[in-house]
Amino acid sequence: MLFPDREALPSQVFHQICKMKMFSVAHKTVFVVDHCPYMAESSRQQVECDVLTKSRAQGVIPLAPVSKSLWTCAVECSMEYCRILYDIYPKDKLVNYIVSDSEFHILNSWRREDQSTHELMSALAAVGPPNPREDPECCSILHGLVAAVESLCKITELQHEKRIALMDTAERVANRGRIICLTNAKSDTHVRMLEDCIQETIIEQNKLAAGSDRLMAIQQCELVLVHIYPQGEDTLVSDRPKKEISPLLTSEVHSVRAGRHLATKLNILVQQHFDLASTTITNIPMKEEQHANTSANYDVELLHHRDAHLEFFKSGDLHMAGTSTRENGLKETVTLKWCTPRTNSIELHYCTGAYRISPTDVNSRPSSCLTNFLLNGRSVLLEQPRKSGSKVISHMLSSHGGEIFLHVLNSNRSTLEDPPSISEGCGGRVTDYRITDFGEFMRENRLTPVSESSHDPSGKLPAERAKAQLERHTRYWPMIISQTTIFNMQAVVPLANLIVKETLTDEDVLTCQKTVYNLVDMERKNDPLPISTVGSRGKGPKRDEQYRIMWNELETLVKTHAGATDRHQRVLDCIIACRSKPPEEEDRKKRGRKREEREDRTEKNGNKEMDDKSWQDSERLKGLMDKDEQESEVIKDSPDSPEPLNKKPRLTSEEIQPPERSKGPVSLLTMWSNRITAVNSRKHQEFFGRASSVNNKFELYQHLKDENGMDVHENGKATR
Amino acid sequence: MPTVVLMDVSLSMTRPVSLDGIEEFQRKNLAVHGLNMLFEHMASNYRLEFTSLMAFSSLWELLVPFTRDYNALQEALSNLEDYDKTCVEAALNGVSNVVQQEWGSYHHTSVFIVVLVTDGSLGIGKGSLRHSLQTLKQRGDDKKFPLPFPFPTKLFIMCIANAEELQMTDAMDNLEELLRLSGGDGQIFTMEGPLCMKSVQTMFGKLIDLVYSPFHAVLHCGNLSSDVQVFPRPEPVVMDEEVEPMPRTVSTDLEIVGFIEIADIASPPVISRHLVLPIAVNKDVDEVGTGTTDELEEEPSASQMAGKSPNFCVLLHGSLKVEGMVALVQLGPEWYGMLYSQADSKKKSNLMMSLFDPGPEPLPWLGKISHLGPISEAADNPYGEDDSKSPFPVQPQVKRSYAQNVTVWIKASGLQTDVQKILRNARKLPDKTQTFYKELNRLRKAALAFGFWELLKGVADLLERECTMLPDSAHPDAAFQLSHAAQQLKLASTGDSQYAAFDHNIVPMHTDFSS
Repeated sequence: MLFPDREALPSQVFHQICKMKMFSVAHKTVFVVDHCPYMAESSRQQVECDVLTKSRAQGVIPLAPVSKSLWTCAVECSMEYCRILYDIYPKDKLVNYIVSDSEFHILNSWRREDQSTHELMSALAAVGPPNPREDPECCSILHGLVAAVESLCKITELQHEKRIALMDTAERVANRGRIICLTNAKSDTHVRMLEDCIQETIIEQNKLAAGSDRLMAIQQCELVLVHIYPQGEDTLVSDRPKKEISPLLTSEVHSVRAGRHLATKLNILVQQHFDLASTTITNIPMKEEQHANTSANYDVELLHHRDAHLEFFKSGDLHMAGTSTRENGLKETVTLKWCTPRTNSIELHYCTGAYRISPTDVNSRPSSCLTNFLLNGRSVLLEQPRKSGSKVISHMLSSHGGEIFLHVLNSNRSTLEDPPSISEGCGGRVTDYRITDFGEFMRENRLTPVSESSHDPSGKLPAERAKAQLERHTRYWPMIISQTTIFNMQAVVPLANLIVKETLTDEDVLTCQKTVYNLVDMERKNDPLPISTVGSRGKGPKRDEQYRIMWNELETLVKTHAGATDRHQRVLDCIIACRSKPPEEEDRKKRGRKREEREDRTEKNGNKEMDDKSWQDSERLKGLMDKDEQESEVIKDSPDSPEPLNKKPRLTSEEIQPPERSKGPVSLLTMWSNRITAVNSRKHQEFFGRASSVNNKFELYQHLKDENGMDVHENGKATR
Repeated sequence: MPTVVLMDVSLSMTRPVSLDGIEEFQRKNLAVHGLNMLFEHMASNYRLEFTSLMAFSSLWELLVPFTRDYNALQEALSNLEDYDKTCVEAALNGVSNVVQQEWGSYHHTSVFIVVLVTDGSLGIGKGSLRHSLQTLKQRGDDKKFPLPFPFPTKLFIMCIANAEELQMTDAMDNLEELLRLSGGDGQIFTMEGPLCMKSVQTMFGKLIDLVYSPFHAVLHCGNLSSDVQVFPRPEPVVMDEEVEPMPRTVSTDLEIVGFIEIADIASPPVISRHLVLPIAVNKDVDEVGTGTTDELEEEPSASQMAGKSPNFCVLLHGSLKVEGMVALVQLGPEWYGMLYSQADSKKKSNLMMSLFDPGPEPLPWLGKISHLGPISEAADNPYGEDDSKSPFPVQPQVKRSYAQNVTVWIKASGLQTDVQKILRNARKLPDKTQTFYKELNRLRKAALAFGFWELLKGVADLLERECTMLPDSAHPDAAFQLSHAAQQLKLASTGDSQYAAFDHNIVPMHTDFSS
């Protein structure tokens, strides 16, 4: 019985990213190329390399055409295979190149640094062409094939990393691979002998691998045997599609003439092996070399991961999408039309995939024109020809850091269309957001790549440090203009920018102090402050009130950073010392003993460091001020100094929410609410009950108690 | 993820549900009850979903085209009529038509949810599901079975029947086959216990939990934050079934890492797009302005209140839009996305979130995301003092073939061009000495790697011929360089390790004609 109720499998509902497995056979490819004497034979495909121009042709005997050997054909086609592979998969699709004659020669390893065509070309140059005079009896492709199986057992860096990362589920790391053997086989029987030998070697090597950490048993091996024979000869080996030799080994045989047939074959194979597809960009306008003022249209064929055609595959009708079948009937390409780019406008396209490309004909003139155009930073939109004649932009070619990608653009109708605008939702009706300031904040919190080698002593990764910076920068960050005074004041900017830093220099502290002195100076001169009058009746708070609000806010900002370093603390100390006399003192003088008691209690209850510290600090500072803080003395004695504050009893931010205070560091919300409440409280006479409450509680209907002489209720909670 | 509700209105749906003593229901009533519950849920918690309602028997009919008007859907449910027999295949063809007509052919960026509500009696004879499935392989191209649909689908089959009932016949097997054909993504729900309102509620409740429960999260930017709904629900993702079979899910804490210019993020590929809608979780969070507004106006509604209290999403959206930037957001361990402002044609603007492929390096041009740090750490601002530069894109260590002038001679024209280039420069010696040797060395390297010694000899011959054809007016240095180059190529073609080393370069012969 299947699952009668499929709830047992809720994981059925997930998005499957449609890509090949990390450790599919494509992870490891071993090229085994025959280096035996017969590979030195000519392919008999001649290349005329002395192309004489008409003007010089007279009297000159052209050079005889050259012809490539079977070896040269095999090497250049395998290099082309690798070139395409490395272009499209620069990482973790690995090639191990082995050459076989009287022994095997391993030209590179699975290591990432060995994975480049340059490395391979260099090693191939050292090998050179086969020596036709070598004893054919000693030479065999078998040496290379055995080495290939051994190599497949060797663990790659990625396999190693993943095994370590997966720990107890390390067995999920599979070991599969492919052997592409380029050889000249003698007969079908010979091919069968090679297959048997590989099968035996796999079994042998798997036994060895079982007992080793650096080796892995092969779970699946795909042999692709390409028999190469010279032009004009009949093949002695027949083509054979993929068949299973054993659960571990499949094998297929391709019998191909050397030269361009071999090149076409390997091009098809690389596409099959790595899920590639072909796109031909048509109508690319290019200046003619000879006639600079005319332009002709060219086509360029690109290879890329086939998912870039996902939409066409889904449609099940590739022809509709402009596919053309090539003359050989094997190769298909999707045609997309070049759309001449308009201005270089920066747009965020909805892109569902981006795939690296490799031109099939990399050094042809149209190809290099297109790739150079893109590498210079231009993007090109591509149009999908439709029968209806409607224009659909379906793809975009664009380079990023020297790599060209084919982006797939969404051409579907959006299923998210017509959503309610953000202005209709939460916070949508607020109009005075600090958009510009937050923009500045974002620019300061832009990211940059940090080299992996630069290690931070904190052990935090750069992205974690970026988040830590965001945390510091947002400890006090009012979102709307009417909620802040200091961030509307140019004079505060130097301090506000510096105080959020992780560490301050002495110079920074000095700048902060200067900012504070400057504010003191402004206060003395009675300069107006940009206090919001939104929501308040009349002219808003008086000048001295304004300064008190400003100082409170500045103190709030700096307090959130004061714990970071001594230098941060020094900035706070400076503010506390320089600002107009904290209202607490005045309040205390005016209020009765009740309040003193309450504060004492709160102080005792307060158990979190930060609050305690700031309290103690302010107490300590009050002491200091009385003694020898010269600047504050000067201010106090100055004729410009503000009128004594607090003509009527009012709440300070500390008073309103004692429960929060005792919980720990003040939250942003609390700070705002406190400030807003403080602002509001000034607009009306304080309720008698709240003003003389104990612990924010006040007994209602006390007169009843007095009158009746009995306890009617518990203390009711004073409500706001 | 638009939804198609496909409601079976065949006669078998009118079968009464026997409930001892209590009022009698038809299965259809139960189905309608369940769907009403679904629509009510969507109207209040998932109202941006586009839903359409189709009824089917042997024919199908689109009752309500894709809409967000859940009243219209519920009204249509109340007017259902009863028809003849069940024909699932025709109905699925209908779904395919309706979806493609509304959303365009070959939609591939959004998953469509098909909710098939049936009693599990799947028709008789021709047109029955059994018949459809039996004849799957005997069809021409024009009469293909509609599954799989040409768009990504999740199929949920809501059976107004218990599992036992369905297993007595082959109904369950057929439904499972149907699910498999649709691509396997989805689920079959059956009713547990007696068929009643309560069990149908339970069944639809499970569907709601699985597919339509709103995804609530908190968007953080340091200490600034906002409660948000992410719509549509981000789906769990499996990157590699073998290495990491457990699906990854988006965290309910979305943490902004930092900000990047739109030009630098460069239209990155994304696996899905979502609206990020700020929501008010606590109605009593903020009391800003209450002191001044409450005396004249009436009690403001909760939504009006929410609209008036500042929300971080709105601030973020505004600044992202003005600055042309995106916020990089962490969705979970080694999984990232981006937040940006998206405007539609009607000038409505929204905060959107796109998800990147899970993994440490979703975009090669940014490098590893965990290695993006704050600019304040850099000695010099990598964006320049006037924002004239950018640290992006990150350059790969190795250049791609098309960026490094590789040599490919697979086509004869490639080889001919390279030889001609050398000859062209040879005729302009000594002016072109540098280019001549550069091209010569490029050809030499490739020929050595390809074991193409014959070419080296050939080109050496050509250079010697060029030497003999030099006009009298030629600079004497030309002849020296040509014969020197020819000689070097010949030596290389012997394979002698002294001359045929790959990294060796032929250097111009040192001559002095200045005197």
